[in-house]
Amino acid sequence: MPKHSNDRLQGTLDLLILKLLDRSGPLHGYGLAQRIHQATADSLRIEEGSLYPALQRMTHEKWLKAQWGTTDTGRKARFYTVTAAGRKQLEEEERRWVTLTEAVNRALRFA
Amino acid sequence: MSPIRRIWNVIRRRRLDDELRQEVDTHLALIEEEERLNGFSAEQARRRALARFGSPMASRERSLEAIVATWVENLCKDFMFAARRLMRSPTFTIAAVLTLALAIGANAAIFAVVHRVILNPLPFADSARVISLEDGMPSRNVPFGFNSLTTQLYYAYLERAHSLESVALYRIEDRALTGQGDPERVLTTRVTPSLASMLRVAPMMGRWFTEAEGVPGGPQVTVLSYGLWTRRYGADPNILGRTVALDGVSTAVVGIMPAWFTFPNTTVDAWTPLPLTRASATDNYSFTGVARLRRGATVAEARAELNRLHIDLERDYPGNGYRQLVAAPATLIEATIGRVSGALWIVLASVGLVLLVACANVANLFLVRSEIRQREVMLRSALGADRSAIARYFLCESVLLSMVGGILGFGLAWGAIRLLVAFGPSNLPRLTEVRLDAVALLFTLGLVMLTAVAFGGLPLLRSTPIAAALRDGGRSGTHGRSRHGTRQLLMGGQVALALVLLVASGLMLRSFQKLRAVNPNFDAASALTFRVGLPPADYPDRAHIVLAHIAIVDELSRVPGAATVSAATCLPLVEGCNQGGALFVDGQAMQPGQQPPIVLRRAVAGGFFETMGMRIVRGRSIARDDVERNEPIAVITESLARVAFAGLDPIGRRVRFGNRPLPSGDGGWLTIAGVVADTPVLALGETRALPQLYMPIFASRQVPLPPRTDAMTFVMKTVVAPAGLTAAARAAVARVDPKLALAQIRTLQELLDRSSSQMAFTMVLIAIAAVVALVLGVVGIYGVMSYIVSQRTSEIGVRLALGAEPRSVAAMILRQGSTVAIAGATVGVVAALAGSRLIASLLYGISPRDPAVFAGTTLLLLLVAALACWLPARRAARLSPLEALRTD
Repeated sequence: MPKHSNDRLQGTLDLLILKLLDRSGPLHGYGLAQRIHQATADSLRIEEGSLYPALQRMTHEKWLKAQWGTTDTGRKARFYTVTAAGRKQLEEEERRWVTLTEAVNRALRFA
Repeated sequence: MSPIRRIWNVIRRRRLDDELRQEVDTHLALIEEEERLNGFSAEQARRRALARFGSPMASRERSLEAIVATWVENLCKDFMFAARRLMRSPTFTIAAVLTLALAIGANAAIFAVVHRVILNPLPFADSARVISLEDGMPSRNVPFGFNSLTTQLYYAYLERAHSLESVALYRIEDRALTGQGDPERVLTTRVTPSLASMLRVAPMMGRWFTEAEGVPGGPQVTVLSYGLWTRRYGADPNILGRTVALDGVSTAVVGIMPAWFTFPNTTVDAWTPLPLTRASATDNYSFTGVARLRRGATVAEARAELNRLHIDLERDYPGNGYRQLVAAPATLIEATIGRVSGALWIVLASVGLVLLVACANVANLFLVRSEIRQREVMLRSALGADRSAIARYFLCESVLLSMVGGILGFGLAWGAIRLLVAFGPSNLPRLTEVRLDAVALLFTLGLVMLTAVAFGGLPLLRSTPIAAALRDGGRSGTHGRSRHGTRQLLMGGQVALALVLLVASGLMLRSFQKLRAVNPNFDAASALTFRVGLPPADYPDRAHIVLAHIAIVDELSRVPGAATVSAATCLPLVEGCNQGGALFVDGQAMQPGQQPPIVLRRAVAGGFFETMGMRIVRGRSIARDDVERNEPIAVITESLARVAFAGLDPIGRRVRFGNRPLPSGDGGWLTIAGVVADTPVLALGETRALPQLYMPIFASRQVPLPPRTDAMTFVMKTVVAPAGLTAAARAAVARVDPKLALAQIRTLQELLDRSSSQMAFTMVLIAIAAVVALVLGVVGIYGVMSYIVSQRTSEIGVRLALGAEPRSVAAMILRQGSTVAIAGATVGVVAALAGSRLIASLLYGISPRDPAVFAGTTLLLLLVAALACWLPARRAARLSPLEALRTD
């Protein structure tokens, strides 16, 4: 059973990370933060430091794989990629998200 | 995450930390680059980066905490659950905790004593090189331990022994301390000034003696012990330079020694210089010597060298008997604790065995408990709990139990040490310094961990595979053979250990009885003794001294309740007043190679033998008119008669200490008038009697090398309880001279008791250990048998329903229990036979394999074990078949 599935906020961050990493390929923490800003058109501002506990946890759950590499500017950084288990988790999270947002939208429309 | 991986993570914490730091640093640097491109200064970019990132430290810590916190949290939870489970079965918990507390407490207390007394007996720097200058006299059957020296030997060692770096001589004396407060007898030690530098000690305040103070006619100075300074002078910081009166001689206080310095024993009150000169060296054996080995020299080298010196001395002082002295120096550590260390190690081993019994007991309780909860454990493992989770489940309980037991035990040890210090024999060095320190705490903690693993690990060792457990763990079945096996093994082990301890305490008890049955050859009943010393300032010569002693005897005789009164320079079984020398017989020429015997000399008032109840075996005793008529007679002990006269009649023969006449030209001979039975000199049950010679106190004025008579011990035979006469005796002495003080007030019976006190102490400790082991063992047997009966209730019900006799059911249970008890006892007897020679050195007059003791203790144990089995067996027999069948 996937953990944290009931914790929506955390689940949202996990969903975002999985989705962006899945689409872009290996990224380090800074790159990932950039992508989140771009993808959400800067409307979702997160503390970039808070990515790391999430990345650690997800690596631990074996949804992500971390590998040391070098950035364009020659700095050592850890690059994260989505694993097969991560992809399954992504599908699950996406399905839940759709269900949840549909339910909330419906409620908002008919309230 | 598996626990191993979790522990690995904690160990790896640093590495994790470094990796994360690197990652975060890269991230921060990248933001800074971006912000600088946006046109911010380096400083602004840095601040913006930190703001965007949030606190990097916080972020790093949070990730790490997640890992460590869950581990700690789980551990706490495990312990809390364990505590809750234990609270739910209070009987088990209390029994286990008390058992452990008792055993751990006993071990902690005895360890604290051993640690202080044996492992750290001497508080002096480099004390391994300090030796006690002892001799043996093989020709007199004294192999070692003769610790008296003459000043002639001292100077020979001082000047010629290359293996010795320094030598010091001392003599314990009790003297009167007067001025400021009541007169008091204090124990002073006269020492050569070399003592402090030899032992590497320095006064806490003031200074030690100079060499110039150690010669005759030197200034009168003293160094006080910390005890005397605080007790009598209220730790007055201005005491230095003040004068006190020792034996009426005003003496300047020049120093105070630290509290831990109690050489040569714990009762010493003050030190004064021992005035010696080379020219006045004598062959009077009245000093004790200590020396420091030169760096690199061994005790064996010193022994060889001192023996060569003894042979040389024979040339310098022909006929003085130095040849018969065989140097047997021992390190001071050995000399101080040699006699007691064996006893203490054995006591420590005994309480160690008690701890084993306690562990076995708790392990058994634990097994029973774990079996009752077998289904719970099975359920857990069926639900996927791995072995380590089950291990945690049990270990948490055992650790918790031992911890609580350890804390209680530490409290018990604290109390026990107070008792030990209060009742311990005075010859245990540093006993009063024994306390529970960090080392004892560590030892206790170690014990706690050891016991926790010992009994907590047991259910794990035999944790069965699930399938077997399911098959076996049905509610009403009889338990598997293996499980009963473990329990019975533990039960048998307890029986064996308890028997070993019972045998040891039985042997000690018999030895003690034998020692107490030794005839001391004097009558200790209703007699009061005390010592009175006369200060040389008021009593300048022997005539004055002797008249004062006679006057005191006369005054004491008039005390109502006193039957007879006499006095001697030294009583049997008293240390510190023995003086000896070589004895020569008139007209008996020394054959070459023959040595004069070393004889202890005493001076007595009239009627001493009658007052002490000592038996005259030949001739007559020393009567009051012998003393008054100044009769130069002597009474010798039977052993001296044997040694010096080889079976011939000694009555009428003349003897003298030293082989020179008095300076006046008088021969100084004493005529032997009688022979008295031997009395023990230092200890009851001495392997060989030491020869002694008694002379009237007046006669002591006119012989060479007379015994010191300035202090004498008075003996009052009373017709009332002797202790009640103390005040009257003090008043009587005060009528002779109000400045005189009484010291060492005790009854002869106390003197006799004291000489067996160390054996009594050891015996009581081992007996306590044995009784505790026996009680724990019996409780263990009873517990196991009761449990077996309760487990077999339905089986017994079936048997009874099918017509089994209650008697045969009881016999069946009894048989099961006694088989184990007998097996345990057999192992115990074998172990005791093998181990009892270890305590042979503590025994007196009994073989370490005494059959009566072995038979008696084994019988006692088996009887008690049978009783412990019989109670559950009777319960089994009284079961009603209906109820028994319904229990499941």
